[in-house]
Amino acid sequence: MNRADKFLLAGILLVSLLSLMGMYGLFSSAVNTTQAIVVVRGAIIRRITLPVAGKSTFVVQGRVGAATVEIEGDRVRMREAHCSGQVCVNQGWVSHPGQTIVCIPGEILVRIEGAAAVDAITR
Amino acid sequence: MNRRGPVLLIALLLLTALLASFLYGRRSREYTSDQFLMDTLISIKVYGSDPENLRMAVNAAYTEMHRIAELADSFPHPGTAAFAGSDVCRINQQAGIAPVPVNPDTLAMLQLAKKYCELSGGAFDVTIGPLMDLWGFGKIPHIPPPEEIRAALALVGNQDLLLDEIKQTAFLRRRGMKLDLGAIAKGYATEKALQSLKKSGIRKALIDAGGNIRVLGRNPHNSPWRIGIKDPRKSDGIVAILSLEDAAAVTSGDYYRFFEVDGKRYHHILDPRTGYPAVENMAVTAISSDAGIADVLSTVFFVLPAETALKTAAGLGEKVFIVTADHRILYSPSLAANIELLPGTAYRYEQGR
Repeated sequence: MNRADKFLLAGILLVSLLSLMGMYGLFSSAVNTTQAIVVVRGAIIRRITLPVAGKSTFVVQGRVGAATVEIEGDRVRMREAHCSGQVCVNQGWVSHPGQTIVCIPGEILVRIEGAAAVDAITR
Repeated sequence: MNRRGPVLLIALLLLTALLASFLYGRRSREYTSDQFLMDTLISIKVYGSDPENLRMAVNAAYTEMHRIAELADSFPHPGTAAFAGSDVCRINQQAGIAPVPVNPDTLAMLQLAKKYCELSGGAFDVTIGPLMDLWGFGKIPHIPPPEEIRAALALVGNQDLLLDEIKQTAFLRRRGMKLDLGAIAKGYATEKALQSLKKSGIRKALIDAGGNIRVLGRNPHNSPWRIGIKDPRKSDGIVAILSLEDAAAVTSGDYYRFFEVDGKRYHHILDPRTGYPAVENMAVTAISSDAGIADVLSTVFFVLPAETALKTAAGLGEKVFIVTADHRILYSPSLAANIELLPGTAYRYEQGR
């Protein structure tokens, strides 16, 4: 092998190494956006990229009636729900990836997804 | 270039491509599934290379959880199939009448409950059913009159729960007694689900059972799982981050089910010795290698004064993180290497406990 061969060989090795690393996500430009996912009775019905400009609300139909989700800037809350416990409403705002608002009677789930500082939260 | 050069290069390229495709096929994938079960949202996340295996493993884990949920369900009406399938309902119905043959898992849960009741001097009692019914948590909560609390307290008593390991029966000795497995069934079911995942060959998983966390192995980045501990007074905050591997973290808090009268908070974790909500702490997180034990311990430690809880935890070789009612934060010294504190102004962190 002459010098050119050696360079070529080194080049190929380097490229394959880099692509392997890429596959393992070492260079992955994983989307770092934060999203609010709204799931009702097992189906994703909305996916909202946060933050949003200003304030908005929308109504979802849970198992025990309508519920109003409110989004303001980078945070989300259950503004109103027709369940007996009101646990979801009392929970207030969430904004960090990994956080969830759950309405058990209504089977409504609001989850914040994104690059999280934690894998889960014990509560 | 000599004649062997190109052949060598092509062979090397092919080899790399082969290796790459092999590794790509075996890359770690995530599979997540959510289900409403046991009065909460259960979320199971698993990692592995074979998507079909991941899906089947999670389904098997849910089947296991459903099975435990049915055994411990205390709400179905007599005469329904759910009632017949619930060991807890049948034990309650036969209170003061006769011992009831039960599933080995029911017996295991009751044995666990009995053990920690005795160990904590009655700070936790699985026969707390009559008191829970009286306060109405889960329905319309209210402060019961003191004489009614006294009457219900008289029906609470771990010593009158008789377990027969040989005959596999459970018996509440007095009529009117009632089991409530609310502080144990979810954790026990979570542990069963995790053991099921392990049996299916899963090596990396996270189960979030309404805030009860159980992790298997390390996280997808191959570091310990990072588990935040919720701030008991700020919906959006965490007070610390735990680094966990093959462990469970379960929190009992006064903020999940509560009502307020004249500015005073009444929550659902009752002290079986007084009949009133426990007053020592706002939130307590128990960390153990077993989710069932962590679940029971979070309630035990919640009811005990913080200093007693820390001592008890040390004696058991378990770990605890406590936010007291007077805004102090204390934790087991054995947690020091696995915890990152996020000090704010709301709490006083006390070290070296």
